[in-house]
Amino acid sequence: MLKVQSITKSYGKKLILNQISFSVQPGEIIGLVGENGAGKSTLLNILATLASPTNGNIVLYEKSYREKRKEVRKQIGYVPQDIAIWEEFSVEENMVFFEKLSWKRRSKQELQQLCLDMELDKWKEPVKTLSGGMKRKLNMAISLIHEPDLLLLDEPTVGIDLKSRKEIGNHLKNLAIKENKMIMYTSHDMDEISTLCDSIICIGEDPFYKNLLKEANKQIVTF
Amino acid sequence: MMSIIHTRLMHWKKHWISHLFWFLLPILATVCMIQITNVVQEDSKIPIGMVVKEDSELANSLLETMKSSPLLRVYELSESEARSQIESHELDSAFIIEDGYEAKILHGSRNRLITSYQSNLSFAYTPIREMLISYVQQDTGKVKAAHTITDLQERLQPEAMVSFDEIIAKTNEIQAQENLLATTFSSYNDEGVGMKNDISILNTWGLWAIFSILSTLLLTDWLIKERRPGLMPRFAFMRFTYKNYAIQNLGFYVIAFLLFDGLSIVVFKQLLSESIDFNLIGAIISFRILISTSAFLLALLFKNSYFYYSVSFILVLFLIILSGAILPIDGLTKRFPWLLDANPIQPFLDQTFWNPWLLVPLALVSIWIAKGEKLNA
Repeated sequence: MLKVQSITKSYGKKLILNQISFSVQPGEIIGLVGENGAGKSTLLNILATLASPTNGNIVLYEKSYREKRKEVRKQIGYVPQDIAIWEEFSVEENMVFFEKLSWKRRSKQELQQLCLDMELDKWKEPVKTLSGGMKRKLNMAISLIHEPDLLLLDEPTVGIDLKSRKEIGNHLKNLAIKENKMIMYTSHDMDEISTLCDSIICIGEDPFYKNLLKEANKQIVTF
Repeated sequence: MMSIIHTRLMHWKKHWISHLFWFLLPILATVCMIQITNVVQEDSKIPIGMVVKEDSELANSLLETMKSSPLLRVYELSESEARSQIESHELDSAFIIEDGYEAKILHGSRNRLITSYQSNLSFAYTPIREMLISYVQQDTGKVKAAHTITDLQERLQPEAMVSFDEIIAKTNEIQAQENLLATTFSSYNDEGVGMKNDISILNTWGLWAIFSILSTLLLTDWLIKERRPGLMPRFAFMRFTYKNYAIQNLGFYVIAFLLFDGLSIVVFKQLLSESIDFNLIGAIISFRILISTSAFLLALLFKNSYFYYSVSFILVLFLIILSGAILPIDGLTKRFPWLLDANPIQPFLDQTFWNPWLLVPLALVSIWIAKGEKLNA
């Protein structure tokens, strides 16, 4: 499980995150909401080891972020908001390319299955001909190659059609239920968050989000 | 490393034509430019006709001397052919070595040895005539000197006579040894710079160096194209850090470049008769590491490929003018000798393995690696 213990983050004198503590159990999906600039991406970057907290500690399956960053990273799958794939490659070539650089060896069949699980069936198609939704799915599939325990997604469904959004949501649910993965993701879509997530973490002081969250019948943690 | 090679080959496969073109550019462009220059040089030789009316040693020797001039293209013709080609302006001028040339020279006669033809378009007639006259005077001078020596011997030391032919042979020998028109000037311990008949305007390896720099710079654009903001965080969760990935790719590029450099050596030997030795091979290896690491460092400074290409072309233009690889800079280096030490291409042009400039990019790359990853916050 993931334990976040009293982390704070400040840039100079500006305090971004203040004493945030929570935990995520295997199989749990956590939504991260808040207004722009509230610190969602900062928190996600800290959880992804891409930034360090000013204070506090994070532990993933008994491994401290401070002491065993390299080991921790092997268990994290990070889906960046920018689509980080090779446009001139096909879906297959993208998966093979990133598999070669990955910690874990996967066969082509396994890689193709990863895509099919996400309803991404255009294995041989060049990425530049794919829709935005398909590209988002590939972006996510690449992050799952090394079978991470914790999946962190930065607005994974931004700018895509409703069908692809639904398919990605379903896949995230399957990953949590069937593979016991811990999933945390940021989004501005409250419907999506309240449908998908087991718990919601609201960051920032904006009462708008807090009022919206009251309507969702979920466990809510606010900071 | 195998994974890095695999991923790099996947990229190359997508752009194999352009990659092959840039890898081959130094070879193709150098061979083309040298061949074109040679053709232009050959075409710019002045065509003249030579008519030899007697088959004597001196007449044939004069003909061979004219043929060996790097500025002339000499056609051996009959008098009528020569006149006809002068009339049709195919020849600049024609010169006839008259019958009895050798006999007249040996008897010290200087009249009516050579007859010449020119047309109203013969622009080089006068200098060629002067050149021919100087060769004839050389022969008459030799004969006159030999006559003087034999006359002196007859009067002073008749018992130690040296024949006329022996004197002429000795004169020719001395002339061949000390011919000022084709001598090699050298200073102590220096290899002389000789004058060859097949003078090439361009230096093959100098030209290759410039094209290699250009192709290396343009092929190193992968570093800019692949350093996308979205892609960088992925490396934190991969087997290779970004710097590790970039350095291993640099190593692979150096190996690939060296293979094509090896091909350059073979092609230049076959097509341009360039010699191969260990100094050249050592100089190429050191030069290749220098330009690849320098291009790598330069590419790290850019985020926009097109801006990088512009800077690369300006840099190459600057090197063409100031490196001495193509355009001679002897005047500049005589006035400012420190320019030779400041020129990073000079050790390669001198074909020495050790290039002190190599330390600069290697040190900078080491510092870049030692600084660690931004994502390792």
